[in-house]
Amino acid sequence: MYAVDSPATPRQHRPSGGHQRLPQRGAVKPKRRKNDSARTPLLLAAPALLILAALLGYPMFRMMQLSFQDMRLRQLLTGVTPPWVGLDNYTNVLTDPFFWDVVRRTATFTVVSVVLSVVFGLAVALLMRRVARPVRLAMVVAMMFVWAVPQLVQAQIFKWMVDTDFGVFNYLLAQIGLDYQGHSWFADPTQGWIVITTLVIWAGIPFLAITLNAGLTQVPKELLEAAVVDGASPWQALRRITLPILKPLITIVTTLSVIWNFGLFTQVWVLRDSKVEPEYQTLGTYSFIQAFGQSKYSLGSAIAVITVLLMLGVTVFYIRQMFKIGEVD
Amino acid sequence: MKRRIAIAAALAATLLGAAACGDSGGTTAPSTEGKVDGAGKTIKVWLMVDAESGWKKVVDDANARFKAETGADVKVEYQQWANHLTKLDATLAGAEVPDVVELGNTEFAKYVDAGAFAELKKDEFENSSTWLTGLSGACELDGKTFCVPYYAGARVLIYRTDLFEKSKVEVPKTLAELKTAADKLESDNKDSKFGAFYIPTNWFMAFSFGQRSGGKIAVKEGDKWVGQMSQPAFQQGLQDWVDLHKAYSKADPAKDENDQAAIFAQGQAAMFYGNGWEKGSAEEIRKDPNDPESELVPTKVKGKLALAPMPEVPSFLGGSNLGVTQKSANQALAAKWVKAFTDTKSMEGLIAANALPNSTALLDKAAAVEGMEATAQAAKNSWFPPNSAKWADVEKQTVPQTMLRDILTGKKTVQEATAWGDEQINTILNAS
Repeated sequence: MYAVDSPATPRQHRPSGGHQRLPQRGAVKPKRRKNDSARTPLLLAAPALLILAALLGYPMFRMMQLSFQDMRLRQLLTGVTPPWVGLDNYTNVLTDPFFWDVVRRTATFTVVSVVLSVVFGLAVALLMRRVARPVRLAMVVAMMFVWAVPQLVQAQIFKWMVDTDFGVFNYLLAQIGLDYQGHSWFADPTQGWIVITTLVIWAGIPFLAITLNAGLTQVPKELLEAAVVDGASPWQALRRITLPILKPLITIVTTLSVIWNFGLFTQVWVLRDSKVEPEYQTLGTYSFIQAFGQSKYSLGSAIAVITVLLMLGVTVFYIRQMFKIGEVD
Repeated sequence: MKRRIAIAAALAATLLGAAACGDSGGTTAPSTEGKVDGAGKTIKVWLMVDAESGWKKVVDDANARFKAETGADVKVEYQQWANHLTKLDATLAGAEVPDVVELGNTEFAKYVDAGAFAELKKDEFENSSTWLTGLSGACELDGKTFCVPYYAGARVLIYRTDLFEKSKVEVPKTLAELKTAADKLESDNKDSKFGAFYIPTNWFMAFSFGQRSGGKIAVKEGDKWVGQMSQPAFQQGLQDWVDLHKAYSKADPAKDENDQAAIFAQGQAAMFYGNGWEKGSAEEIRKDPNDPESELVPTKVKGKLALAPMPEVPSFLGGSNLGVTQKSANQALAAKWVKAFTDTKSMEGLIAANALPNSTALLDKAAAVEGMEATAQAAKNSWFPPNSAKWADVEKQTVPQTMLRDILTGKKTVQEATAWGDEQINTILNAS
């Protein structure tokens, strides 16, 4: 992220020795460089592109193909080519009201979880700028630990903490005199979703806070000091100076969070003990259960393709932002 | 997005595997008669983890007898119940398949229907004329047999003898007596955590009550399944179960019966409903749960538990079957192993390990074993869910669980929930 956000900061506009020397050196033999520069990037990118084509392109192609066929367990086990069914899978999915419930739920979760994680992430990042160095270091270390815990383990930890019978959460709430003994956190889907969202936000904060903190180091102190001298309140300084400078970075981390959280799967899967009730289904679990739980591989593929299409808008926006920032350079 | 791609990649990989080895596997039923020379060969067997923790000796003995007869070796790999089907799907799509696979009886029909298992000659297996129909039903398709019943479990009442004695209550013989006993236990144990009967959202139990009042889950009319849960006969029993839950259980409605033995071991209930072997799981736990060889540690309820048939309520017959995979390169050997592992000698070993044998003819033998009376008796009065290749999908979509949870949390009435359940079952069972 450093490489991405640094060009956007005002400091980069000052002339720097390193930047100027390069074009001069190139000017000595302009012709050869031109030929090279056309081919070299392509050559350098070729291995990566080939790997992407093999690991991403082919499975994507098979997924598209599958979504137009009717592949079941029999075809999987016997190797018989599945029958072609055209748009049947898509019609089935798109006319199923339950699918739209799932889409709505996934979208709502994404909006809520992303807004909250970005706000908390930014708050932690701002706090990191204010505290003493050792405290900041402790914060980074603590967050690195959270970041280092695999999703599956994070979810298991939460599952135990909110367990009805053995959970430390109910125990503590009961200790302070609340009637939470044997309280079920998943009987009511609203509470269940609060637990899942909390887990996702908790796990998302380290990346956001550390990235945004790095961005904050690029906000010129002089600007903020000048603002304070001119009588700006801290809130005004944040809104008028810090946030505008951070905006490209915030846009990128928000878009990334949207893409990640929209694909929510592991947390729900673990917290619901791999038996995901209808109210806890997201596009990720729904497509997985259709494909692998019920062996309707084609229907699952169709749902996955629709999910890709739904996410396409966000992805395009993300890529455009990346390019936009690149152009400033 | 990363995960979606991973799925696609995994799927693509399994597809490639399927394409590469689509035509292997014989079409005629392998015979267990006659001599098969298996010297130098090894068959691979997938058993569920219960065999390892419960009756490993029976497995070892069958392996030894099999080796003596054929000269072939056996490699047993123990599987975990959670997501074992996903693993099986991916493996069966490839070329390196296990020769023998154990599956739960409600899981088998789907795989038989998909052609995953080879036909077997029923008559060649011991006790095949008296196999428990709750197990063998899933093995039959178009008059052919594709698997062999392995063992069964019938659910019973597991109760605290010390608490029963303290409250001076007898082991209930009727449902009414059970309620009286539970009332007495509740009034004698005032702890706010205490519930006389620990009842998680266990659909096997709830649906057993539906059977008691004469209800059915679904019936086949012509070639269509029709859900019957919203019929008064089923609702009546379900209501009885809900009343029992409301009055005596402190269980979380969002939890199933998976960890009921561990919760019961905390000592906050006097009864629970489970498989016979769950008495052992409640009384002792492994010091290191990840190591099946580690020492057993007694829990709070050690030596205080006993089994009794659940009064008046027919038992859901759970259990497992064994099949020889269609793609196995050693089908004849594999069938011979299954024969050895399911013969009377092996079944007697299972009975000694507190599991129910695969045949009604052996149930009386089981009933004579100390501690097995209740389960053997329960198995004689048992029921089984609709024998459809799609029933596994009903369970996968958590229809029974969701239905019961919605009743227990008050989100739906019994009428509303069963109507919803019927609608779901009709859609799933009749899907193309």
